[in-house]
Amino acid sequence: MSDPIPTIAEAARQIAAKQLSPVELTRACLARVHALDRELHAFVHLTEERALAEARAAERAITAGRPLGPLHGIPIGLKDIVDTKGIPTTCGSKFLQDNIPDTDAACAEKLAAAGTVLIGKLTTHEFADGGPSFDLPKPPARNPWNTEHFTAGSSSGTGAGVAAGLILGGIGTDTGGSIRGPAALCGIAGIKPTYGLVSRAGVAPAAYSLDHIGPMAWTAEDCALMLQALAGHDPRDPASASRPLPDYTALLGREIKGLKIGVIHHFHEVDHKVSDGTQHGITAALATFRDLGAELREVQLSPLQDWAACGSLISITERAAAYEEWSRTRLGDFSERMRSRLMLGAFVSGVDYVQAVRRRRELRAELQAAMAGLDVVLTATQPAEAAKIDEVPKWDLFDKPGFTMPFNVAGYPAISVCAGFGDRGLPVAIQLVGNPFQEPTLFRVADAFEKATPFRAQRPALISA
Amino acid sequence: MASDINDQALDYLLARAGLDLTAEQKAELKTIHAGLAAMAERVRKPRGRMAEPAHGYGFAEEDLA
Repeated sequence: MSDPIPTIAEAARQIAAKQLSPVELTRACLARVHALDRELHAFVHLTEERALAEARAAERAITAGRPLGPLHGIPIGLKDIVDTKGIPTTCGSKFLQDNIPDTDAACAEKLAAAGTVLIGKLTTHEFADGGPSFDLPKPPARNPWNTEHFTAGSSSGTGAGVAAGLILGGIGTDTGGSIRGPAALCGIAGIKPTYGLVSRAGVAPAAYSLDHIGPMAWTAEDCALMLQALAGHDPRDPASASRPLPDYTALLGREIKGLKIGVIHHFHEVDHKVSDGTQHGITAALATFRDLGAELREVQLSPLQDWAACGSLISITERAAAYEEWSRTRLGDFSERMRSRLMLGAFVSGVDYVQAVRRRRELRAELQAAMAGLDVVLTATQPAEAAKIDEVPKWDLFDKPGFTMPFNVAGYPAISVCAGFGDRGLPVAIQLVGNPFQEPTLFRVADAFEKATPFRAQRPALISA
Repeated sequence: MASDINDQALDYLLARAGLDLTAEQKAELKTIHAGLAAMAERVRKPRGRMAEPAHGYGFAEEDLA
């Protein structure tokens, strides 16, 4: 249990050098699942036999000189809103308890083709919204740094699973922060790529024009390795971008001296003031970037509340449309938190929605102008360390605008990385945002930060307990 | 959008949305209305009628194949 947990990059190097067996790596992850998941609830469905079969197949192929790349033999998990052929996909909902898809989602297909080993399906808020809910068929995931605390959501199982070493990487989805929030509170890395870069085909919608699929892993480098397998045009997704794909690891390890980092101070210092622990993490991160030779600039955008209003109105309406039929006929079968979100759709008129979408165009143009000449911008990911799981407020979207939604509204890529620990030993994070389709630069900056700080050396204590 | 809402207006909006709520759920929803109304006001800016929404429609290669 206390053996060091490798990153994807480390495991890939060891597997390639035949110093690590994919079967042993998979068994180690499964052992941690059996030891810890009764408390963490990161998984809703284990695919143990399949995982061991895939690990053996990977080992045979690699031994025979047919490696598929750095993800070959790597244990992963998929958020349970991702369709998986022949494997239950419940979306965390009573509605889909018996749902067994007959095809894989595009992201599941791509990770399988890259040779990953599927450990199982991961806990999600119902249809990737609301939560934490205690009135669903499965309990909410718990934070491995302190199981009395929340993981954030909705990719809660992925955040908990990666942090606890149950998997080395996993899929999350992000409509307003559902990758970056759990990444922040669980002390891992998680990227919401540029809108359209990763196909949404076969993934349950939360809000069509804000939904993003992306990787979550222990490090930014691991996210880059996963994104390499996930990115690419898919005609099954009407928003899928068609552009040449770069090498997402190409800029890792390069120094960041001279890069220009914009800091949106007013987001986290004025519009929604963060906790002392989070502010300390941000301040220390800025000092680290200065030490690494980056140039820091002040960035001014519209107030966070403007971005939140725009994103929330779009999100509420698109979600209400997606789930209208069940809302009208079986509203009582949703969890209480999801039901409350769906009810909000009654209050948003068609004109409100279009005004929000017009505002979206303006806000995106504003971000584009602000980022001219900058490589990335920086703000908080979460306002504070993880709250206790039974003290998460239901209605805070009106007075506490989130730091992640602006980049769903704009469709810009954004990554959350661990920036230390607050008073109670819970992780704090920073959010870095890149220009559209410039994920390699984002990974370069995030990777440089992780390597310049000691936070990747520390795992939750319960792993070694 | 008004910043508060009476029972008659709430019932109309819920009927239009096809939602059948309990009295308790309606009471909760009424407390949320002002926040949502403020958001709806916030996205309205002086922009003139020519300002386009973000969601444009274009023909993808697949549409033309």
